[in-house]
Amino acid sequence: MSKAQEFEPKIVAYVCNWCTYLGADLAGTARLEYPPNVRIIRLPCTGRIDFNLIIKALEVGADGVLVSGCHPGDCHYTAGNYHARRRWILFRELLDTLGIDLRRIQFTWISAAEGRKWQQVVTEFTDQTRKLGPYKELYATGPFPDVPAPETASPGVKSFAAESELREVCGKLLAEGTVKVVIGYGARGPVVVTRAEDAERLVWNNRCFSNLTAYLKRKEIKSLGKAAVIVKPCDEKSLVELEKEAQFERKDAHVIGMACEGVDQPKCAHCTARTPRFADVTLGVEAGPEPQTSPSPNRFAALMAMPPAERMAFWTEEFNRCVKCYACRQVCPMCYCERCIVDKNRPIAIDPAPSTKGNFAWHIARAFHLAGRCVGCGECSRACPAGIDLALLNISLHIAAQKNFGYEAGIDPKAEPVIGSYTLHDTEAFIR
Amino acid sequence: MSEIISQSVLRGLAAEWIAGGKSVAGPARVKPDLVLYRTLRSGDDLLLEGFQRPSNSIKDFLFPKAEKLYGYKIHGNSIELIENDSPEPAQVIIAARPCDAAALPILDHVFNWDFHDEFYNRRRAATTVVTLACSAHDENCFCTSVGLDPGSERGSDAILFALGSGQYEVRCATEKGHALFDGKTEKSERTGKAIAGPEKRFDAKAVRAFVTTHFEDPFWNEHALTCIGCGTCAFSCPACHCFDIVDAGPAAGNARVKTWDSCQFSTFTAHASGHNPRPVQATRQRQRILHKFAIYPEKFGEILCTGCGNCARNCPVGLGVLSVATEINHG
Amino acid sequence: MDNVYKPDLMEVTRIRQETPDVKSVSLRFLDSERARNFSFRVGQFGIFSAFGYGESTFNICSSSNWKDHIEFCFRKVGRVTEALWKIEEKDVVGFRGPYGNGYPMEAWKGRDLIFLGGGIAMPPIRCAVWYALENRADYGEITVVYGARTVADLVFLDELDEWSKAERVRIIRCVDPGGETPDWKGEIGFVPHVFERAQVAAKDPVVLVIGPPIMIKNTLPILDKMGVKPASVYTSIENRMKCGIGKCGRCNVGPIYVCKEGPVLTMEQLQGLPADY
Ligand SMILES: Cc1cc2nc3c(=O)[nH]c(=O)nc-3n(C[C@H](O)[C@H](O)[C@H](O)COP(=O)(O)OP(=O)(O)OC[C@H]3O[C@@H](n4cnc5c(N)ncnc54)[C@H](O)[C@@H]3O)c2cc1C
Ligand code: SF4
Ligand code: SF4
Ligand code: SF4
Ligand code: SF4
Ligand code: FES
Ligand code: FES
Repeated sequence: MSKAQEFEPKIVAYVCNWCTYLGADLAGTARLEYPPNVRIIRLPCTGRIDFNLIIKALEVGADGVLVSGCHPGDCHYTAGNYHARRRWILFRELLDTLGIDLRRIQFTWISAAEGRKWQQVVTEFTDQTRKLGPYKELYATGPFPDVPAPETASPGVKSFAAESELREVCGKLLAEGTVKVVIGYGARGPVVVTRAEDAERLVWNNRCFSNLTAYLKRKEIKSLGKAAVIVKPCDEKSLVELEKEAQFERKDAHVIGMACEGVDQPKCAHCTARTPRFADVTLGVEAGPEPQTSPSPNRFAALMAMPPAERMAFWTEEFNRCVKCYACRQVCPMCYCERCIVDKNRPIAIDPAPSTKGNFAWHIARAFHLAGRCVGCGECSRACPAGIDLALLNISLHIAAQKNFGYEAGIDPKAEPVIGSYTLHDTEAFIR
Repeated sequence: MSEIISQSVLRGLAAEWIAGGKSVAGPARVKPDLVLYRTLRSGDDLLLEGFQRPSNSIKDFLFPKAEKLYGYKIHGNSIELIENDSPEPAQVIIAARPCDAAALPILDHVFNWDFHDEFYNRRRAATTVVTLACSAHDENCFCTSVGLDPGSERGSDAILFALGSGQYEVRCATEKGHALFDGKTEKSERTGKAIAGPEKRFDAKAVRAFVTTHFEDPFWNEHALTCIGCGTCAFSCPACHCFDIVDAGPAAGNARVKTWDSCQFSTFTAHASGHNPRPVQATRQRQRILHKFAIYPEKFGEILCTGCGNCARNCPVGLGVLSVATEINHG
Repeated sequence: MDNVYKPDLMEVTRIRQETPDVKSVSLRFLDSERARNFSFRVGQFGIFSAFGYGESTFNICSSSNWKDHIEFCFRKVGRVTEALWKIEEKDVVGFRGPYGNGYPMEAWKGRDLIFLGGGIAMPPIRCAVWYALENRADYGEITVVYGARTVADLVFLDELDEWSKAERVRIIRCVDPGGETPDWKGEIGFVPHVFERAQVAAKDPVVLVIGPPIMIKNTLPILDKMGVKPASVYTSIENRMKCGIGKCGRCNVGPIYVCKEGPVLTMEQLQGLPADY
């Protein structure tokens, strides 16, 4: 290859205003030479470098992305970089699950005095990226092996023993005026019951899929008055997180917990919850924590066993089916933003069209906004009309939160949420 | 006398069409519990039995979820528009359900009253629809309640009737249909017949009468309380056609794009001032039913629904047109 | 391909800032053939676009007698209007249209005309006023009552002065109580009240009332007392639109597609429609 044709990578550097930007400036004034491949984008603090920006840089053609800020302890805003570090840890795991080449993204700390480090990091990262070549694999299709499919619901309806007791309890709650509405399950799906005599419409069987806690946020339901909500032990976890996030107060709802025999959903094979822990009243026979059925083949392990390019191909094919109905968001108990990022248009952060880019951006945003918050109720996967295996992304972040921070969403009401907190010793292994 | 074709010849034909450069779409199994109409890679991809109907509809191939209307280039303060004028490739949709095919004449009206949407028309002209008459119906099917049936030929260029043992009777309804099958079939004495349709579930006239007189009615709120406004019903409906026009700028490739939209979304009718004529889900559900049973019929003389039942099958919370219509009709 | 969604390219020839958040813009077609053939009816609208940002619906607020250019006037409220706010003379914007029914100016001939407008409602009234003045002999007495929240929010003020010089024209300006400045010479009060106070003597007039729902609501009883029939009261509906051509399913009020069968509707029509606006 002649010199002129040699590939010159495009690199975007997101740097904080107070340390790295000054460090880069110093390198300039000190006439330290480094490759001209870097376009610097200055932001107030690493804490303000949204993950969307990293993805966007790759989408518009960057071959590598550098993200840099003040050393731990030196952040101009005290802890912006500690928060950023936490998000990076989780975000890298998500990107890895998607098959995005992590060598294309470099995180570093560079202070205002470290002009030389800036020179070194930029030089080395540019060289490395040059060797990797242009980033053509982003969102590329290609062959990939099968991932075992999640188990599917069996067609029949099997009523559970606690059904009649449930009707009785709910009828009484309504008759006595303890609550104004009961959010429960009916023959076809969720029902909202407001009259005691209609409690007869409630069912409790193996088709009670919905996580009804998602209704607690809806204005139309709130306006009816105090609600009783029927929860399975898995759904109950979302109440724990919602309470931590100040979206829900126990006094506002009467929680009816159902000891659960499983509802024919993929998650049930792994479920160890089985008995509600915090409900105001628990119905049914309390069951042990062991899963009811033997777990289905580990889809996540199968996915992660593929090389990154195959993972990417897998997701490209999955996401290409997405029609952007946002049912995954609408059913999610933890998606309660007044205005979702995809409904904001100043600026448009995520291409609203169901294009490949637009779909990846949406799925990355959805999954990451739920990092450490998703309780694994599986509703998003169930609701998706395109059969996209969203649970795999949620599992990825669930494992990441557990592995790195010992956190499991929905379990311990006292544990500090993963996002929004930090420790001084969160892992640094991937940061230069 | 009838014309018949075997499953293997049919698959062979599909393979031939693909090899000949046609885009061929039909039902295919995407996951153990998911069948979708999708572009077929081979004749073997085609799924002919063992499922009620695909979760999506054939509108995907005439009115796709995203369609670039034009691109633009910005040079200083001048603008250059870039249009795609290349002809639409010929397309065959095979083993469409009658309730899918019947939606095409419905969409034809929308895309052609006064203004002609050539994106749709060009695709429509390039498409041949080969329908497979139904051999089963499930609890969500209600074609008979909206004037159709499992053997309806409406919107089809050819229709196949299963004869058992992997044979189909082929009836061509249009020139396009003949062009695909003439010379490819065998003569036979056997004739096929669709199954009897599902029992009539509601009276569409009564539904229309109710919706046109009960704009403000507690029914809507009661009915819509569990609707989460996800729009899945509209996206999987063969007849729903609402869309948005978006322009996300350079990052999205500098293009105006027509994308599916749904009257079930809370932002659908929201004004910039914050005012929203349809502020709650009840008003949005009402719009969907009103559009299907009154607004569209008033304009074009037919119901904006083919009874396919996809809205109910795909609704994560078990709603759908059938449940509303039956509730209205039977109180 | 005949692409109904493809806009005409138009050059910005003049921009005026009317208020802190309202600008009016004059445009001319870049394609001279299109410029020659273009015609529209006052009351129609267009879909205007800023490339890279999207499309938005605005009334064509110039008179249909003005052949060399069209004008629109917009308030900065969102994505597209913010982008349009930044355009400069000689920039190019997109235009699709004209769409909608427009005012039946022919049918209004010989009648007294009353225009009642609030806030950003002036653009769709302005085109009709100019049209009537340019065909002065065709119409009877003309009354315009125009109000805004504050003096700073009034648009086309200089044109109001110009109109008032014409024959048989009465112009009443007003601002909401508290919105006046020390040197304000107009009325103080809400449009309906100011209109009532003005005791406009018109016989069987045509009334065009455009403004926020509350203004329209408070105007109707007054018109009723004056004996104006709902069939003679017109308004222009602003339901959210995307396609403008009856396809995207967004703009309907009951069975009426506002983009095609509107935006101009009479109160009589509206009374027969569900409150979907
Ligand atoms: C027939 C007709 C004639 C009209 N004539 C005129 C006219 O002459 N002059 C004029 O000024 N206007 C007129 N309008 C109104 C005008 O069309 C809208 O004000 C304009 O389209 C707003 O566009 P935008 O892109 O700036 O706003 P957008 O950014 O598109 O915002 C508009 C909508 O986007 C949504 N949205 C997105 N983000 C947000 C957010 N953060 N908060 C709230 N909502 C959000 C909302 O649903 C909002 O309604 C007319 C409308 C119609 C239908
Ligand atoms: S992301 Fe999916 S699995 Fe997780 S809480 Fe939300 S709906 Fe449940
Ligand atoms: S539910 Fe499925 S199709 Fe709909 S937006 Fe979510 S992932 Fe896409
Ligand atoms: S409304 Fe429902 S049943 Fe009717 S055509 Fe659409 S998806 Fe099918
Ligand atoms: S009816 Fe069902 S599918 Fe349609 S918007 Fe409501 S919840 Fe979603
Ligand atoms: S200011 Fe540099 S990381 Fe926060
Ligand atoms: S604006 Fe699209 S149908 Fe009226």
